Amino acid sequence: MTKKIIAWCKNNKMKTIVSSLIVIILIIMAFSSPNKAQFENNIPKEFKNLEARIVKKPVYLDYVIVSGYYQNKKISSVKAESVEYIGLFGKVIEVKEGSSEEFIFDCMKWLPSLIEGAKITISLTIVTTILGMLIGAIFALGKMSKIPGITHFCRAYIFFFRGTPLLMQLMFIYYSLPLINPNFAIQDRFLAAAIAFGLNSAAYCAELIRAAIESIDKGQFEVAKALGFTYGQTMRKIIIPQTYKRLVPPFANEFIMILKDASLTSIIALQDLSKVTTAIQSSSSKYTVFIPSMIIYLVITGVFSKLFECIEKKYSVYE
Amino acid sequence: MMKKKNEKKNILKIENVNKNYGDLKVLKNNSLEVKKGEVVCIIGPSGAGKSTLLRSINKLESVKSGKIWVDGELIVDREKGKNKLDKTSKELSKIMLEVGMVFQKFNLFPHITVLDNVIMPQTVVRGVSKEVAKEKALELLEKVGLLDKKDVYPNKLSGGQQQRVAIARALAMEPMIMLFDEPTSALDPTLVGEVLKVMKDLASEGMTMIVVTHEMGFAKEVADTVVFMHDGEIIEVGEPKQIFDNPKQEKTKEFLSKIL
Repeated sequence: MTKKIIAWCKNNKMKTIVSSLIVIILIIMAFSSPNKAQFENNIPKEFKNLEARIVKKPVYLDYVIVSGYYQNKKISSVKAESVEYIGLFGKVIEVKEGSSEEFIFDCMKWLPSLIEGAKITISLTIVTTILGMLIGAIFALGKMSKIPGITHFCRAYIFFFRGTPLLMQLMFIYYSLPLINPNFAIQDRFLAAAIAFGLNSAAYCAELIRAAIESIDKGQFEVAKALGFTYGQTMRKIIIPQTYKRLVPPFANEFIMILKDASLTSIIALQDLSKVTTAIQSSSSKYTVFIPSMIIYLVITGVFSKLFECIEKKYSVYE
Repeated sequence: MMKKKNEKKNILKIENVNKNYGDLKVLKNNSLEVKKGEVVCIIGPSGAGKSTLLRSINKLESVKSGKIWVDGELIVDREKGKNKLDKTSKELSKIMLEVGMVFQKFNLFPHITVLDNVIMPQTVVRGVSKEVAKEKALELLEKVGLLDKKDVYPNKLSGGQQQRVAIARALAMEPMIMLFDEPTSALDPTLVGEVLKVMKDLASEGMTMIVVTHEMGFAKEVADTVVFMHDGEIIEVGEPKQIFDNPKQEKTKEFLSKIL
């Protein structure tokens, strides 16, 4: 392991120098980041002595390499005073309105709630993808089966879920089902979203899986039959394992689509990343919130694209 | 049926087999008998129905009418497209294990190694334990001369090597009859020899083989019986010497004069 790293460093001198410089800078930033007391020393006397109706507790934000501090005082129903500081490289910088520090400071303030939203978005996407793959596989095999009842049911399912908007399916499951029968009421918003998204994704995945199975050389079916494999054995041992590699790119696509479709869940008031972002925007009336939000989306997409790439590589050993 | 005592018994019998695609008759009332240990080569121009006949034996094609027996057991019994066979599919698949097949396009399983290609069918279909299957697989790979390639994936092999693995895989199922559907047609000419050699060894060990081939040299040298097919019909059946040197039928003469 260490030998490999040393070899890599020798081959990529430029990259090594740049990345070690970055690491050194980050370490310096981490150690020099101001602590709470340093901020408090900077607060002007006038602010400390202000008489206020409501005093909010000071908030200290510690993000290891940068830190932030703010406090609000409400003087009257129309007047409020606040102090906001960023701490960087051991320095405490006052945040002025309209400055670039303000944007950094805002991002720091928003980050915790954005991350909460991102957690919901990611978990909904992962649950949906898994449900979609599993249920989709069943419907793919069902649609390809020669038993009339099953084929027709699977066809109808796929037709319905691909033919109606996801938004309506979601509203139907959350709002309409309880009206049809109170027993169908789903209290948990995340669960309702996961069911709607999973059922919808299954219809798309079913078609992806069917296409992948049908793309396998017919000779594989013939040789399996000649060797005495039953249909089930042929599928399990020969055909389906060969579809894994072909399924990774379309599934990665599906994953990213779901990630962004997750914003539809705001209709049932699930606090996903998009919902949190628009909520921050409307309460603070700062449109800059879309920048950190989109960066978070890009980071999630980037990480998972890389992951799918690795899975694809793992399954392409034989090609 | 009268049988002489020392005559070997029929292992395969085809009787009045017919098949058509729409109006096109691809098999016209063909009958053939193959004895245990016999090597039969089916020759003829392309489109003569050679492969279709071979695939009917393995039930990869369903015939319109006719009967086929394997080792005395009826496996195909159809009349005007209707199945008259009264065997369950389980009984049938047990008999069908006696028929192995090698395809023109090898059809190795690309997602597993060469060794697993030979092991997997044994464990899945025959329920053999992994250890026993592996032992047998190694033995067979050695026989086809590919023991050193056991851990590579099929795409790393040449066509000839892939076909030899395919033969080993079919043999692992311990069939009584081996069907070869143009086993060397997809191969580079320089690779044909290595596959034919494996097939010759197999023939000399007494395996019953039915080979659809364009390799007349192989047919002449190895076959006990040569079958000439033309337009879906078996025109002439005889010993290689007789077929090649002294064909009785006009169509056989014509075909042989074209290719020899």
